[in-house]
Amino acid sequence: MGMFDTINISASALTAEKTRMDIISKNIANANTTRATGGMPYRRQMVVFEENKDKSFSSYLDEYSNKFTGGGVKIREVVEDSAPFRLVYEPGHPDANEDGYVMLPNVEMVKEMVDMIDAQRTYEANITAMNANKTMLMKALEISRR
Amino acid sequence: MLKQFYNNVDILGKALDGVWLRNKTINHNIANANTPNYKRLTVSFEDKLKKAMEKEENKLVRTHPKHFPISKSINDIKPEIMVDRNFSYRFDENNVNIDTESANLAKNTIMYNALVSQTIDEFDKIKNVINEGSKY
Repeated sequence: MGMFDTINISASALTAEKTRMDIISKNIANANTTRATGGMPYRRQMVVFEENKDKSFSSYLDEYSNKFTGGGVKIREVVEDSAPFRLVYEPGHPDANEDGYVMLPNVEMVKEMVDMIDAQRTYEANITAMNANKTMLMKALEISRR
Repeated sequence: MLKQFYNNVDILGKALDGVWLRNKTINHNIANANTPNYKRLTVSFEDKLKKAMEKEENKLVRTHPKHFPISKSINDIKPEIMVDRNFSYRFDENNVNIDTESANLAKNTIMYNALVSQTIDEFDKIKNVINEGSKY
């Protein structure tokens, strides 16, 4: 528990949101990729956030003795969206099946855009929080300046 | 006599500790604004600090020296962290409202700045007493 904990907490959120943004970019970039891993179309990916918590005994003890044990947020895993692929009738496509249908990734552009705005706004909120912290820390230094 | 010099500074220091902890929890809440199943944390210390200042609980008399002390001095005050398990309007069971947290952050920062200014003033006063006293 140090002086810069709060900054570290905000920083962890910035990292997490930026990673989320990266994954969203990846989804958008691969919105039409028909040959991803295993020769299948690209599957949309999502990040799963988790509270960054030490799983040690002492941290649980601290939690129950009313101490602050939080350490921000972290990404637990990146999961794939199991939604079905889009089927588009396009007989001339090299990846079309016998009936002339092509399987396209299950990426929905609108969903990605909304997610992107969400990630962006949360990122901004964390920046604001971090700046507030910085001013508070600088203010605290003024006590010793007299 | 010098012990009483810093009475107010001690109180302000405790308040600063509490506000700083609250600042941490607000940051943590904002950081976890998108974490599924996360419940927001809150901090309370003002009531306890006020009680300790007013020595409300000191009115109880200990009839035996081995009784546990009921009164809490300002040094014993510890800010309390609570988990707000109130309902969530979101599908992921997270109950952080980023607007509320931003508002709390603003309030908390102002409070912190006010307390720091008060502390600075307090030291100024002490310094004033020492300086002026030496003139005569």
